[in-house]
Amino acid sequence: MKKKLLERWNLREGGIFDSAGKASVIGLHLVSGMAVGGIIGYFLDKWLHTSPWMKLIFFILGVIAGFRNVYLDTKLLLKAQEKKNDSTPKSGD
Amino acid sequence: MVEGGLVHPLLLSTKLDLDEMVIFGESLEFKHVFYTWVAMGLLALIGLIVRGRLKMTPSGAQNVLEAVIGGLEDFIVVNMGEAGRGFVPVLCGLFLFILTMNLMGLVPGLDAATANINTTAAMALFVFIYYNAVGLFRWGPGYIKHFLGPMLPLAPLMLPLEIISHVARLLSLTLRLFGNIRGEELVLVIFFTLAPLFSTLPIYFLFGLAKSLQAFIFFMLTLIYLKGAVEHAH
Repeated sequence: MKKKLLERWNLREGGIFDSAGKASVIGLHLVSGMAVGGIIGYFLDKWLHTSPWMKLIFFILGVIAGFRNVYLDTKLLLKAQEKKNDSTPKSGD
Repeated sequence: MVEGGLVHPLLLSTKLDLDEMVIFGESLEFKHVFYTWVAMGLLALIGLIVRGRLKMTPSGAQNVLEAVIGGLEDFIVVNMGEAGRGFVPVLCGLFLFILTMNLMGLVPGLDAATANINTTAAMALFVFIYYNAVGLFRWGPGYIKHFLGPMLPLAPLMLPLEIISHVARLLSLTLRLFGNIRGEELVLVIFFTLAPLFSTLPIYFLFGLAKSLQAFIFFMLTLIYLKGAVEHAH
């Protein structure tokens, strides 16, 4: 019973649930890095009266952080896939 | 209660007159808190019932719960190693709690507490504080190394980047759960006003899957963040 439920849910690393979860996360991670960078820059500008420099700097940092998030998430996804391919015997070809 | 310009056909909290609560002379929305407590009560009740009749050969509810918790525990241990066993209660609790709240949105008369941004923000804030606290307890002041990147000369660049991406985790955890569940609730209400029952029933299967996927994603991300806090800095 336990085995069957697990099979159906695909709750293993590299299974459907795991992969779909990791993949669907990537888009929002890209955007939220930029948003947080922009917000931090906006409030630093308001606080230090240095408009627009902090906004510019932190937005660019946010973009870099967002793309770095995507890179790290992709690496995680690929690692799980590799692990899955190593552990399950190849069927057919 | 108007929900994004749409009226819910029937709600338990409206019947009980608990949609809003006056605290210190201010009228505040209370609906999501009410449904959070309903979810908590439901989980506690199921737990107590199952605990009352534990058997060596599991059957019924005990079987289902054992399969879910066992599967999640396996997943945690495969991902984090043996260090992950200590985090099983927190992570499984989060998963079951969010899953219950999400699925409550599909039950007529109940609403999903996670369709309100305050609930999801509170849970994301808990996760954020929790994994940072775990990292601080585990590494002490050395936890700062997690924020400095692989090379010391690059540290002044990596520190703001890491801080931004850590705060971005908070934002994305909040928005993902809230946006998905709220969107599904709105679609259900719209379809219900178009063609009651006939149009909503097929969508229940899709949304049941999507809602459990969202609960799983929240659980999995918490696991990944905890893993990052417990592991050696790269």
